[in-house]
Amino acid sequence: MDIKTEQFVDVARKELKNDRNKQFLGVLPYGITISRQRSMQTFADPEAANDYGRAIRAEVIARLSELLEEFEKNAAANGAKIIWAETAAEANAFVLNLARERGVRYVTKGKSMVTEEMGLNDVLQENGIEPFETDLGEFIAQQLHRPPFHIVGPALNIPVEEISDLFIAKADMKEPTTDPVKLGYAARLYLRDKFHHLAMGITGVNMAVAETGSIINVENEGNIRLNKSSPRIQVSIMSLEKVVPTMADAMHMIRLLCRNCTGQKLSAYVSIDSGPKKSDEMDGPEELYIIILDNGRSKIYQDQQTREALRCIRCGACLAACPVYCKIGGYPYGWAYSGPMGQVLSPLLIGLDRTHDLFHACTLCGACKQFCPAGIDHPKMFLYYRMLEAQADTEQKGDFIPDKPAKLFDLWSWGAARAWRWKIAVKTMRPMMNYHAKDGVIRKTVAPLYGWFRTRDLPVMAKKTFHDRWTKIKKSR
Amino acid sequence: MSQRAREEILGKLKGAPKAKTVPRPYVPPLTELSWNGEQLIANFTQNLTAQTGVVHRVKDSAEAKAKLAEIFAEEGLTTIMASTDAVVAPLDLRAWGKEMGVRVLTAGDFADRDAYKNAVFTEVQAGVTGADYGVAESGTIGLIHDRNQPRLISIAPITHIALLPVGRLFPVYESVTERVFGDKNKLPGQFTFTTGPSMTGDIQGGQFKGMHGPRKLIVILIG
Repeated sequence: MDIKTEQFVDVARKELKNDRNKQFLGVLPYGITISRQRSMQTFADPEAANDYGRAIRAEVIARLSELLEEFEKNAAANGAKIIWAETAAEANAFVLNLARERGVRYVTKGKSMVTEEMGLNDVLQENGIEPFETDLGEFIAQQLHRPPFHIVGPALNIPVEEISDLFIAKADMKEPTTDPVKLGYAARLYLRDKFHHLAMGITGVNMAVAETGSIINVENEGNIRLNKSSPRIQVSIMSLEKVVPTMADAMHMIRLLCRNCTGQKLSAYVSIDSGPKKSDEMDGPEELYIIILDNGRSKIYQDQQTREALRCIRCGACLAACPVYCKIGGYPYGWAYSGPMGQVLSPLLIGLDRTHDLFHACTLCGACKQFCPAGIDHPKMFLYYRMLEAQADTEQKGDFIPDKPAKLFDLWSWGAARAWRWKIAVKTMRPMMNYHAKDGVIRKTVAPLYGWFRTRDLPVMAKKTFHDRWTKIKKSR
Repeated sequence: MSQRAREEILGKLKGAPKAKTVPRPYVPPLTELSWNGEQLIANFTQNLTAQTGVVHRVKDSAEAKAKLAEIFAEEGLTTIMASTDAVVAPLDLRAWGKEMGVRVLTAGDFADRDAYKNAVFTEVQAGVTGADYGVAESGTIGLIHDRNQPRLISIAPITHIALLPVGRLFPVYESVTERVFGDKNKLPGQFTFTTGPSMTGDIQGGQFKGMHGPRKLIVILIG
């Protein structure tokens, strides 16, 4: 997947004019929020349940290396093969080589944000191994070559007419239809054949349990269960923060994940793998590979503030809460992760230099933080990124902006330090500032302040300052 | 590659500034833990029905077979695959099927994995399994997958019929996971929780059942 985070403003402008998506976004978040709130009420004390989940995630981050070692030891004892990968390229190379060694012609995939982050599909495709996304939304997004509109429902916004055309062209559907059930059934039939003859299935991991060495997948469609049950080879890829201490912790987090994600008490399927199949079993993987991917996370971990981003469990609750996402949808975020969780994760994974607009596209209202079952303080993260940018931090690639803002504020500080300088500045600036004023409001001005006025107004600067008027009043008495 | 990457990653994580682990906050016990037997059954049924699962309650194995016959007739099922777990095996469904005119297959009928997969993906109209556990808090069944409980039987066919003795019904997930994962030396290769049929809302948020797995989940509670 190409990274298009730098096009945030342009794509957001375009999406703001997309009537269809606007209409859709006008309804979707409310539905999700209502069902989320209703399902949270099934806890005796919803806030205590949230706090407990937040504490689990905080503990995971604090004990990360210890938990990963425990998970590795137990998963290996279960018979899984653990592969560590520092970069996406290393992980991709491992999957590709394995597929080649085993003579695999195609693979199927369960929906996995981390494989989107790795760009695994492109690597496999370029090397002659066809990857089939099998989550319905992901399948549609893959065929349309679009980024996810929403991390949970990647193609929620696509009109049925467009899906119908797509399935006729690419999924062997015979007759056009606008019935979502018929469309879904066409995808079922098409992908069923892929599952039937599958040699290698690829999945993500929702949680990895340290105390048992088990991996857990949470889903509604059943595609992940088929991905794991039909082939002889299973590859499950986890970013390193997916580990949790105990099975009981995993169960608590799953309760929160499902409620915050889709408003369900539990998703239709939760499958827990502890090693490959036993020798006397008829189905299930003979080989289970678990890839633990770093891809910059150990660097993120070095800073106690940035490591807070690793709490995220990808439930997507923050998307429906965000007034910005609810206006522009997922496309402007330009990569696998959208909404507030994308604004938190992408800058650290890609660099502040390529995501400047992401962590600035926020009013700091804090709705995301209130919803987050993992305890991420999104606004605090954005302010921290802005600070790193202002300080030209090299670790997170915040040193990309020419020092214009800093110089401007130095000048401001110099000017404001003495009354005479301030007075001269006001007199000089007034005609410049008021030059574009209309109906008592300044809506634009000359560079370098032009950008500031892109989304803000100011009242016109008064012809006389308070001091001028005060002096005049005193004289007239 | 992997060993070097492992050392690098763990080295960096261990070398990072340490953060304190704070004690977990108090969380009230789950109210479901106070449910008695009939409440467990009522809540299990209510929760699963809310997910469009169908729940029947019968007294014993004989009634379970009669209920199966009723379901088979209603659904027009003529070829099914059954697991051979401790709930289903004693029912001797193959002999029962012969009387009923239903072809009952098991994974053991097939010489190899490919032949078994051909049958479970293309031939059978339903999978009939026992359930190792039921969880009342969400109307969920739990299956331990092993040689007698193959994984595809409960996910590949369009209908899944599960037989659950009421004694296997528990209030919350933890009551089940403590039993399944309590002994690290006896972990099943796979354990699954199922709550209703396969579903999706990926086309414009409209929900429909039977996306990749069963369109119908029918649970027969025995006892």
